[in-house]
Amino acid sequence: MFKKPTLTTTLIIIVGFLTLCPVIMLLLGSFSKDFVSFGQFTTSKYVSAYTDPDFADILLNTVIFTVGSALHATLLALFLAYVNTRTDLPFKFIFKIISIIPMMIPHILFSASWVLLLNPSNGILNRLFMSLFETRDALFNVYSLKGMILVEGLLDLPIAYLIIAPAMSAFDVSLEESSKVCGASNWRTLFKVTLPVLRPAILASAILVIVRSLASFAVPSVIGMPGRIYVLSTHIYRNISSGFAADYGLAAAIGLSALGASITLIYIYRYLTAESGKFVTISSRGFKPTLIKLQKGKYPLLVIVGILSFVLILLPVIVLFYISMLPYSMPPSARAFSLMSWNNWIDVLKDPISLLSLKNSLFLGVVGATLGTILSIFVSYVIVKIRTTASGLLESLSFLSFSFPGIVIGVGFMWFFVRTPLYGTLTALLIGYIATYLPYGIRPLSSAFIQIHSTLEESSRVCGGTPFYTLRRVIIPLLIPGIVSGWILMASMFLRELTLSVVLSRPGTEVLAVQILRFAEDGLWGRLSALGIIMIFISSLLVILAAVLGKKFSKLEVVDR
Amino acid sequence: MKKMVVLLLGLILLPGLLSTALAADKVNLYANITAIEPIMADFNAGQSAQEGIYTRISTSKYLATVLTEFSAGKLQADVLQGPLPILQMLKEKGVLTPYKSSSASGYPDWATGDDTIIQFGIEYVAPIYNKELVKPEDVPKTYMDLTDPKWYDKLVMPDPASHATTISWLIGLKEAKIFGDDAGWMKFVKGLAANKPMFVKSFGPSPAPIESGEKLIGISMPKYIITKAPAPLDWARVDTLLGTTRAMALAAKAPNPNGGKAFIDYWLSAQAMQLLADKVGEYVLTPGVFPPIDGVDKVKVIPIRQLSDEEIRHWGDEFQKIFYQ
Amino acid sequence: MDIRIHDLVRTYYSEGKQIRALDHVDLTIPANRIFTLLGPSGCGKTTLLRCIVGLEAPDDGEIYIGDELVFSKAKNIFVPPEQRGLGMVFQTYAIWPHMNVFDNVAYPLQTQKLAKEKIRERVSQALKFVQLEGFEKRPATKLSGGQQQRVALARALVAEPKVILFDEPLSNLDAKLREETRKELRSFLTELQITAIYVTHDRIEALALSDLIAVMRSGRIVEIGEPKKIYFNSDSQFVADFIGRANLIKGKVERLDGDHALFASEIGPVRDLNSQDIPVGQEAYLCVRPEFIRLSKDLEGAHNSYNGKVESLIFIGEAYEGEVRIGETLLTTTVDPTADFREGDTLAVSFDPDHCFLLTT
Repeated sequence: MFKKPTLTTTLIIIVGFLTLCPVIMLLLGSFSKDFVSFGQFTTSKYVSAYTDPDFADILLNTVIFTVGSALHATLLALFLAYVNTRTDLPFKFIFKIISIIPMMIPHILFSASWVLLLNPSNGILNRLFMSLFETRDALFNVYSLKGMILVEGLLDLPIAYLIIAPAMSAFDVSLEESSKVCGASNWRTLFKVTLPVLRPAILASAILVIVRSLASFAVPSVIGMPGRIYVLSTHIYRNISSGFAADYGLAAAIGLSALGASITLIYIYRYLTAESGKFVTISSRGFKPTLIKLQKGKYPLLVIVGILSFVLILLPVIVLFYISMLPYSMPPSARAFSLMSWNNWIDVLKDPISLLSLKNSLFLGVVGATLGTILSIFVSYVIVKIRTTASGLLESLSFLSFSFPGIVIGVGFMWFFVRTPLYGTLTALLIGYIATYLPYGIRPLSSAFIQIHSTLEESSRVCGGTPFYTLRRVIIPLLIPGIVSGWILMASMFLRELTLSVVLSRPGTEVLAVQILRFAEDGLWGRLSALGIIMIFISSLLVILAAVLGKKFSKLEVVDR
Repeated sequence: MKKMVVLLLGLILLPGLLSTALAADKVNLYANITAIEPIMADFNAGQSAQEGIYTRISTSKYLATVLTEFSAGKLQADVLQGPLPILQMLKEKGVLTPYKSSSASGYPDWATGDDTIIQFGIEYVAPIYNKELVKPEDVPKTYMDLTDPKWYDKLVMPDPASHATTISWLIGLKEAKIFGDDAGWMKFVKGLAANKPMFVKSFGPSPAPIESGEKLIGISMPKYIITKAPAPLDWARVDTLLGTTRAMALAAKAPNPNGGKAFIDYWLSAQAMQLLADKVGEYVLTPGVFPPIDGVDKVKVIPIRQLSDEEIRHWGDEFQKIFYQ
Repeated sequence: MDIRIHDLVRTYYSEGKQIRALDHVDLTIPANRIFTLLGPSGCGKTTLLRCIVGLEAPDDGEIYIGDELVFSKAKNIFVPPEQRGLGMVFQTYAIWPHMNVFDNVAYPLQTQKLAKEKIRERVSQALKFVQLEGFEKRPATKLSGGQQQRVALARALVAEPKVILFDEPLSNLDAKLREETRKELRSFLTELQITAIYVTHDRIEALALSDLIAVMRSGRIVEIGEPKKIYFNSDSQFVADFIGRANLIKGKVERLDGDHALFASEIGPVRDLNSQDIPVGQEAYLCVRPEFIRLSKDLEGAHNSYNGKVESLIFIGEAYEGEVRIGETLLTTTVDPTADFREGDTLAVSFDPDHCFLLTT
């Protein structure tokens, strides 16, 4: 479409600049004797990082945790996406919203909420189970690898859902029809045709979740640490927090193994989806997917989806609301209900810093997601449609800062920005956010791009449309489901972004998550929950806005049919 | 296309340009301390010429941030506040400059001996329990009571393998001879470990499981009795409390040195320290000023010797062996 | 407008192997004719089309559209497709699923920023031309295959391009519709007096539609000629075989006789056309199309009559498809459906000397 080498080069320069700078700083730091990015050369940090006797156990835990979370998130997302896009289940619009709610909740709050529900001593669900079945054994101990996978998988569910659902709804229905014509049942069609054709989206979602959970800190620290289960990110934390002179060089040295793992995964993904033509599904014919009539299965399935959504997603949110009404956290009781008040809400809404951070986060969410999506459109185009070595490089670059564990990458950005005039400004946050979370835009857009047959674009060129005109009138409208997904993922991520913000935000540039972290550090769970619910509310507004705008710009009814 | 590019660049850079215009005649405090908004507000109300702003940086990132900014010539702090070991390291790097405040006149000698760093408070640690769920007769009277098997699976504490202040606190107990000799201390440590405490990342999350009743008792801080009121928290009346000291100093290249000095003078004054004790529950060194927590005015609160990072790592490894069996 | 192509080269790399999609192609496509690129899949015909349109850049060579040089490696010229002023119908039609029929057809005019009134007028003209009046508001996804094909044609024609290109436009239609559309297309194109380049692998389509056919193989053009010439008297064995079913019989030229030659073949002496002037003594192939092989109960005529045995007869509606054996040689033939033959019959086999021709080996 464009002059391909130039476009690829330009993007490599932009993305490389965004993501390489902090990573180079971290590399320098990991080879420096001192702990402030530059200093005398040493390899001692690598030696001490990788000769740690605990390292093998930690790697094993990390693999179980990340792969488990990816399986959990992807399977659940597949199920929900299938039900929501391809069947005539009633009340689908509710389940669509529910599927993306965890994305809007600060991770630390969601984890804390599950602790209240499922801790083995007095978790609400465990208590209920114990009194119902008159047993002394807890139903489920959240402080375990299982618990970590449960919560992390749910937190990453929206990522998986937003990648899989657009692909599912843009599916060329004739493929399924031909399978059914051949005599295959609905089930057989699902496993032999639908899922294999969706392979790029499924793989993309699994890989993104693995990479994300590798960098995740909230679940490992809130749930893993009390269960004495350490994964890579908490291992790094343990290394930097023992002693006051936190050694981020050492942290970077450990973090490099996460980076290596992520880049390997990306290459595996590229290899597995190498023949992107095989997966092209939007062409002009049979675009609109037909809905599968559930008939007798309708209401049982509704009950299953309903219970699943309620227990997994709504219940933790309800718990948050419950906490926000209490002066301190306690299990539900008559006394708890008598103590309820709006005080936490009033405190939060009267706090000038909370309000400022609300404003800043909103700005970062809207502007950052918009810019990030624009950049992602070009990058995904190069990655999907120009499959050269250079585009592979671009794809890896886009994942660089994303795959570094959060507590480390923030410091990398600090080491970088402090050398620019942008240090301590909202712009620094904006650039850092886009650089780090670029894959949130690129992944859904790539899987959307893969499905657009290139002749749709070529015919526009032959009809006299310039590349830019083609982009505007043909590609973007066809990409709308992917664009909406990417924008929503980025916007809600930016609204609750913590790892970079906690390092880069300064008085005047406070953001929501930093304010939330302060409340958490001070143990003010009531205010924390109130602010968290405000965040969920704002994110929901943005999501609805995106869906409505997306619908307006495209006649493809995908996001909210 | 070109218009688009200009527009996008504008969007990116605008907030940056706007915020550089800010930040004049302000006193910037770098610290990590809970809920000090009332003190900042009081400072801003009393000293109309200066406006205090609070840059909160978590302890694990404090040194990295300050040194990075300092080496790039971008340290915006006028006043730096933090645990004593951190300020010592900053002093060695030349980040701090000597300043003696007259407000600290009544402080103990050990707190004001240094020409640069003034210590003004102790982050005191104590056994904290849920007063609704623990019967009065069960409340520990000594540290050793925490090793009673009745607390098995009922304890919470910051991770003694990694959390620096907790490691220091355990060493403080040893060096203060709370248990007589080292053998007694080791018995305490092993007894505590045998009760399988639940570990959290730092003191911040330590009171939550106690107030919710998930655990009954924990190694935490009495100040939460104030900041988390009306949560049913109380502290076990052991006879000696220990804590690392809080300290502050003037930045060597303070953008606003006079403001910084004024801020330190104000902060160390009895008025500000009273606020810190009343609103935040902190243990301060101003004579006669105590937090409004029952019994704190009578208990002995002693500062823990400053441990080097090597020592902390060494003991962290030791405690890992004991607690993670 | 004519199109001239000089020494065009296009190479692909796939799994480490080098594939020459275009191997030094020289070609002149005359103005206002229907010109077909015919060949098996992978012969480079679509690549050539895409190079002309500008969707691909060749590695070497030059392309002129009329007098305009649109591609030249030596002069470093590459005119992008949107500036070449061509129309194209894609194999998949590439109708944009998010637009209705009007927007699809109006698109080329909208890119030129014509006045709305003007656009409406020309779109309705184009739709009328392809017999889709009143379909303006219909969403593209609600069209049948044949309708989509016509929308694609209307879109390609609406901006009155100098040249229109077709990339296997009928291959996605069912057999009956394909036949009808082929006729329609022929009449549309004849009416328009436009240069049309048509890519197909279907020989019937090529024969039925074209003024000129270029047969391609492995990145090269093997033969260019009018349909009848290619069918009845091709210069190459490959073309003769590809353009229709053919019986190829090995032998040697024995004697020349004006246009004709006497050929000593596996089935005996044959009198045939020798337009390539193959000299006496040379090995060659005799090409006989099945429809020219006559079967009868009795031997008749002086030339090219042999005894053969019917090996198989398959009824296909308008005819029988038969196989007859003469000696060791098996020939395919088309037999009148009313003929009274059975498998195993021994019959007289004959063909006209003017309807069989010699090819070099």
